[in-house]
Amino acid sequence: MTTAPSPVRDPAWSLPRSAIGLWLTESLINAAITVAVVVALLVWIPDDLGGPMPFLRWAVPIAAAVDVVVTVAVRPWFKHRVYRWEITADAVHTRTGWLSQTWTLVPVSRIQTVDVTRGLLQQVFGLATVAVFTASSQGTVRIWHLEHGMAQRVADDLAARAERVRDQAT
Amino acid sequence: MTGPVPARRTSPRIVLVHTATFRQARRFVPYALPALAAVGLGGGRWTVVGLVVAITLVSLATATLSWWRFSYLDGPGAVVVTRGLVSRSVRTVPTDRIRGVEVEAPPLHRLVGLVRLRIDAAAGGSAGVGKDEELLIDGVPRAEGDRLRTAVLSSRSRSAAPEHAEDAETPSPEETEEEFARFDNRWLLYAPLVGGYLAVPLAAVGALSRVVDEVPDGALPDVDGPTVDSPGGVIAVVAVALVLLAVGAVIGAAIVNWRFRLVRRGGSLVAVRGLLTRRHTELEIDRIRGVAVADGAGMRLAGAARVTGLVTGLGDAQRRGQLLPLGPRAQAEALAARLVEDPGPLTPHPAAARRRRLVRAVAAGLLVTAAGAVLTATAGWWPLLLTGVVLTALGVPLGLGRYASLGHSTGPRSFAVRVGWLVRERAVLERRAVVGWQVKQSWFQRRAGLASAVACVGAGRGGYIALDMAADEVAAFAVAASEPWAEQLVPAPPTAEHPRAG
Repeated sequence: MTTAPSPVRDPAWSLPRSAIGLWLTESLINAAITVAVVVALLVWIPDDLGGPMPFLRWAVPIAAAVDVVVTVAVRPWFKHRVYRWEITADAVHTRTGWLSQTWTLVPVSRIQTVDVTRGLLQQVFGLATVAVFTASSQGTVRIWHLEHGMAQRVADDLAARAERVRDQAT
Repeated sequence: MTGPVPARRTSPRIVLVHTATFRQARRFVPYALPALAAVGLGGGRWTVVGLVVAITLVSLATATLSWWRFSYLDGPGAVVVTRGLVSRSVRTVPTDRIRGVEVEAPPLHRLVGLVRLRIDAAAGGSAGVGKDEELLIDGVPRAEGDRLRTAVLSSRSRSAAPEHAEDAETPSPEETEEEFARFDNRWLLYAPLVGGYLAVPLAAVGALSRVVDEVPDGALPDVDGPTVDSPGGVIAVVAVALVLLAVGAVIGAAIVNWRFRLVRRGGSLVAVRGLLTRRHTELEIDRIRGVAVADGAGMRLAGAARVTGLVTGLGDAQRRGQLLPLGPRAQAEALAARLVEDPGPLTPHPAAARRRRLVRAVAAGLLVTAAGAVLTATAGWWPLLLTGVVLTALGVPLGLGRYASLGHSTGPRSFAVRVGWLVRERAVLERRAVVGWQVKQSWFQRRAGLASAVACVGAGRGGYIALDMAADEVAAFAVAASEPWAEQLVPAPPTAEHPRAG
């Protein structure tokens, strides 16, 4: 599936393995919700409603099962292969997504602020996200799920370098 | 710090305007309504009269209070605005953070010879996205408004170039004025073809019907709508409605754009417009990063276009950035080329992009058709099937049209991307405007060898997309359309990289 070459250069570094655990946990939580909704659908909605109901009664559980299997058994590892990041001499470069992928490149000279955020699950796994903001609402780079200490060092480093080479052109 | 310059006040005449428009009193409405409901509206006419008098008095009192508590001061380094009925607030905006000044004269203000100044300021430091702030100085005489505007803007340029500190009070006598565009009233005829102006009469109708809904049934005169049953009658009603819509659009466009004029004065572009409310907007040329030339499907029929400046750090950019609200295409293109170098004709996107546009345009119709087919087979209900077929058929020209719009081009100092069909927009941007690239590739795009590149800019919408380019051209386009840092997007033969940052 990923045999076609990337349209642009891929960032060099991958995320820590614990990110897989985090994505797996997220997927399991979502799967639990999906299962609960499907069960509720089967239990509460009578099947003699007519219309498309008989069809939906078997189609929805199958779709939900496929979704659960893919998101739990495949997606976390797949995402770990896709998610990449790199800080070069003058830019931040990331790749995110899984079926649809996004490469983002922002030069250090155009960085305005750098944030480190830690969600609830991220704290459990000792991870953090580095968010790099520019003057553009669409030019935000997020480096997901770095180890917390690493995230902090990256953020400090970027903020310090941005301060030095800030470009007022924007 | 104040020293010799005393704080200035707005004109007391503004109290009249604010009383009439209930500007300050308006905010009490949410509290007044429940109170009224609790007390009840027992009596007849006299209660109503009393109420009107009371409300006017409240409005007068609040307007007076807020006039009394409001003062401003344009010092050499900052503009200070002090206000607040109960809690005082003092806002100090350094002049070097001021991005523009807009002078407005709404109808009532014009009646008493006053104007309103909006001073657009960058918020301090942080994320910078949508955090722009505005100082409002409402109700100064026209001459004082002009003085304040030039004082604020010239002290800003002075702080940028301190060597000219001497001629502070005399704003350079012979500021060359050069006209960039002047609105021709014939252009108003384009208005019915522009979605935005068509919305004006529709919005008016909507507001009216809401008011009518609010009025209790008994109070409305009992008008029986003329009964329309013959097909001729229907056609007549539709025709009249269309004419009214068109006239409404023209009137709406006239109110907003009356005597529009764009001139360059020193380092700024000044746009003046408006029939009832005269608006006077000033944009720094240095902050213009690009222009967007929009020509929707309707406008293309008439050969019309609209030009918007893509200006960094401009609050409410859609309205304020307008450089040519409506005009002939040639004029729009000439104006755009005058502000940002034209990067040359657009390169069309590969054939795979056409396939993708077509598939996406027909997909919804096909889905409806499939559902319709199921319904026809199971329940014998065919209208959905027909709708689906029609939608699918309409999707074909739409997809082709959307493909025909796609294009990109790069020049020595600028680049352009175009996208859209119903609302088509070509953005021409300077290379230095790009603050980042976002390359997107869905699974389908990957299979088709396509990718989309979004140029992130700190102006306009924030990002301009080159949709469905050939995947292997993306890196070269990014390099050609921005500064050298983008070369890192060029795929290199895989080499051993240093493993980690820290």
